[in-house]
Amino acid sequence: MNDRRRIRSIAVAGGGIVGLSAALAFARALARTQVSVIETPPDPAALADRLPTALPGVERFHSAIGIAEAELIGGGIASHHLGTMFDNWSAAGEPWVHAFGDYGKPAGAIPFDQIWVRAHKLGKALQYGCYSVGAALIRAGKFVHPSPDPEFIGSRFLYGLRFDPDRYRELLRAKAAAAQIAFRAGDIAEVERSDTGGISALRLAHGRSVEADLFVDCTGPSARLIGALDDSVEDWSAWLPFGWLTLSEEPSDDVPAPASRIRTSDDRWTAFLPLRGKTLMATLARETGDVMVTRSRRLRPWVKNVLALGDAATALDPLQGTNLDAAHSAILLALELLPSRDFHAVETEEYNRRAEQVTRRVRDFVALHYMRGPWREFAGQEPPDSLARTVDQYEHRGRMPFHEDESVTRESWTAALLGLGIVPRNVDPQAGAVPLDKTVTAMERLVGEIEAAVEHVPDYSQYLA
Amino acid sequence: MTGPPPKTRVVILGGGTAGWMTAAALVNQLGHACSVRLIESEEIGIVGVGEATLPHIRHFVEALGLDETDFMKATHATFKLGIEFHDFGKIGTRYLHPFGSFGAPLNDVPFHHYWLRLHAEGRGGELWQSSICNVMADRKRFAPPPPGSTLYNYAYQFDATLFGPYLRTYSLARGAVRTEGKVVDVEVNGEIGDVVALKLESGERVGGDLFVDCSGFRALLTGQTLKEEWEDWSRWLPCDRAVAMPCTSPPGGIEPYTRAHAMTAGWRWRIPLQHRVGNGYVYSSAHIGDQDAADALVAAVEGTLMAEPRVLKFRAGRRTNSWSKNVVSIGLASGFLEPLESTSIYLVQGAIAQLVELFPIGGIRDQDRDEFNRAVDVEYDRIRDFLILHYHATSRDDSDFWNHTRTMEVPDTLLSKMELWRRSARVAKYSQGLFFEPSWVAVYIGQNVIPHGWDQRADLSGSDQLEAAVARLRTRVSDAVDAMPDHSEFIRRHNATIEKPAG
Repeated sequence: MNDRRRIRSIAVAGGGIVGLSAALAFARALARTQVSVIETPPDPAALADRLPTALPGVERFHSAIGIAEAELIGGGIASHHLGTMFDNWSAAGEPWVHAFGDYGKPAGAIPFDQIWVRAHKLGKALQYGCYSVGAALIRAGKFVHPSPDPEFIGSRFLYGLRFDPDRYRELLRAKAAAAQIAFRAGDIAEVERSDTGGISALRLAHGRSVEADLFVDCTGPSARLIGALDDSVEDWSAWLPFGWLTLSEEPSDDVPAPASRIRTSDDRWTAFLPLRGKTLMATLARETGDVMVTRSRRLRPWVKNVLALGDAATALDPLQGTNLDAAHSAILLALELLPSRDFHAVETEEYNRRAEQVTRRVRDFVALHYMRGPWREFAGQEPPDSLARTVDQYEHRGRMPFHEDESVTRESWTAALLGLGIVPRNVDPQAGAVPLDKTVTAMERLVGEIEAAVEHVPDYSQYLA
Repeated sequence: MTGPPPKTRVVILGGGTAGWMTAAALVNQLGHACSVRLIESEEIGIVGVGEATLPHIRHFVEALGLDETDFMKATHATFKLGIEFHDFGKIGTRYLHPFGSFGAPLNDVPFHHYWLRLHAEGRGGELWQSSICNVMADRKRFAPPPPGSTLYNYAYQFDATLFGPYLRTYSLARGAVRTEGKVVDVEVNGEIGDVVALKLESGERVGGDLFVDCSGFRALLTGQTLKEEWEDWSRWLPCDRAVAMPCTSPPGGIEPYTRAHAMTAGWRWRIPLQHRVGNGYVYSSAHIGDQDAADALVAAVEGTLMAEPRVLKFRAGRRTNSWSKNVVSIGLASGFLEPLESTSIYLVQGAIAQLVELFPIGGIRDQDRDEFNRAVDVEYDRIRDFLILHYHATSRDDSDFWNHTRTMEVPDTLLSKMELWRRSARVAKYSQGLFFEPSWVAVYIGQNVIPHGWDQRADLSGSDQLEAAVARLRTRVSDAVDAMPDHSEFIRRHNATIEKPAG
């Protein structure tokens, strides 16, 4: 009975990291479905493929595609990623760190940042980053896995991964080949439309045709497949004003720092992504560079039998390393909501609805850095409503308004808000109820615990050895 | 250096469940930032039929620092594992909407997809056998879930007329002030439109900075004074009256669940407390007269009548702005959704949580009012769709009432949710809102809305293997429930039994 509904074959266009990841995830979850990959020429503006960084939680995706962290680290394919150091990205030019995971400890239901604000206003708090064990590890250039003991301060941080793009792609390709995924070389010459408005086949440059029930567009911002069906795109460039990208790399130590670094200068900023034996550098500028990257979102990433993933669906400024993470979430969501073979709009629209909620808030998070950072003169006059609400509520009283399917954590929001100098004007009355002496003592004790814990962590070189 | 800012003067109008819940939460969480004064009149009765709650009430009780045993004793409470619906999809059928899930997901795919697949092959048994809540309810057993477990949850069935006074004692002990009296006039600032003071029959004038309208359907401040718009939902939820009547408890153990029996022009509740059973018939006055409804209720209930039937009038809908000017409306003044899914107290609780989160700091801002109203709207809108589903997903054609609800046009939001379910067995997912996947699955399956398809990943394992796994799960559930005490016995062991059953 369900056989009439089943998707029997999937053709993925795009042989980059996103395309291979999608192919592997589909092939492993849908054992009776044929999956193939068309290795179209890479799009130089596909940031999820070219600057692959994974946020905390990546192990869920990796376990879905059968990759263990040990093989990535051992093979020099990835290194641990505790967060990002912003050297001079704030209105006052002060350095700050976005470390993954907790800052401080909440007092019952009251978040730590509200407690910190109260102590800060009375001159009784250190810099916000001093209360994060992740930030302390970044400063010390160390890494260790979080402790499984929830009582120990060493458990209160998270980490993601930074990948060497070429090596990671090679590993994914080898895994895909082992999973019986077929590869077709060559560019797409023509997209053949079906009677129902979807795609019936892709004709490749050498004349061969690829048919499938579902086509997955991982061709980057050029969106070669879905672009042929639908052109509704929401432009985000007013809120993300930098578009010119230049990538380069230079050799470095074999032991990378456990965090990325962002430095601003004149009309550009550069991200330094330390890998094993080299550092990847990405510069984004307002007016000049090698490649123009779009900042936009497709309103309907799933249309008929075509699903767009990665930069073909959403092209975002790479400042917070969210590009590949967005692709991972989208792949898992597509599996969760995989429609039946007739791709009825009620099913694909549910995917589009949920995908939209997640991506809008990631956009808000990145746009915040322009709205209130050193580049505020370039950012659009009116921020998106949801971002305006977030900044207003936080600035007024340290409240974080609710948004459906929010993927950016409160900890990340507050690290960036406070890092950018957006300190609440008022202490929330609930935080005001916590006895101040106790708070201050607990905060001092916490700093001591963090220092002691970090001191016992070996250098990253020893950890990797 | 200035001293601490002056306390915000909060005046709560109305001493029903909503009023005293608000007072209790404010003195507990914001006692240092506000003064709380509640005006109530013994001459004005309270609606107070809200006897059935949802598991969220546990957080409320816990946050106030109340002892569960003491609270249960004071309100004559029993435990509640869900609501059992009779005759909704079709006469002669019944199902439980449990406070828990069905089975457990396998390879990221929710259990009900596997069940649907087996069901299509005529195997797999009944869905409810895979839910621990259902089996507990069926055998009248109860034990609380182990700490940290998400397998199931529970709520309370209590006497709402005792809950308010219980919270009154709590609030007064923590600084709330109670003023007895009727409001005869509302003083409004002519320029900005804020409420400045309430004038009482005694001549007393009660001034405040923030007014909370808990005056029930009268909505004295938000409706009569500020004339806030009301969005009417009676075209989808036609029930507009209820007749309520307590009875003595029948012999035998107490059911750890509430019952909802569909009737010709609505439905009837049955809520077992320690000392009595609450009954009521919620009906549409366009489809049945008051006397006929009362007669139908009397004919249907078990036990001896303990009071004469009492009629209540209401209408489904909500205020467009629950917070307007300096008046926050909470409870029936803000909106009403009939008690089919026991949501009234939950909605009060949700509004209180938002008020605490957005409590004014040095004056009320438009942005904060907007945030409050945005949060309240989301709750109402999502519950509304879920309630409509109970009336709409039916094959009943035995009365005008059911013919109306079966064939009426439902909101587009519900229409697409139902279509998604029919095609794919998926429940539209929201991270906010009250009812999640297991609740929707219970009602859909319970009212015989069987999807045509399911997640294709559920087809990957063999039928025999799957059937064996489901059978093992059922045995585990059954064995776990066998080890639990009887519900009445558990209340006794918990020392929550009331000493002397009251009249």
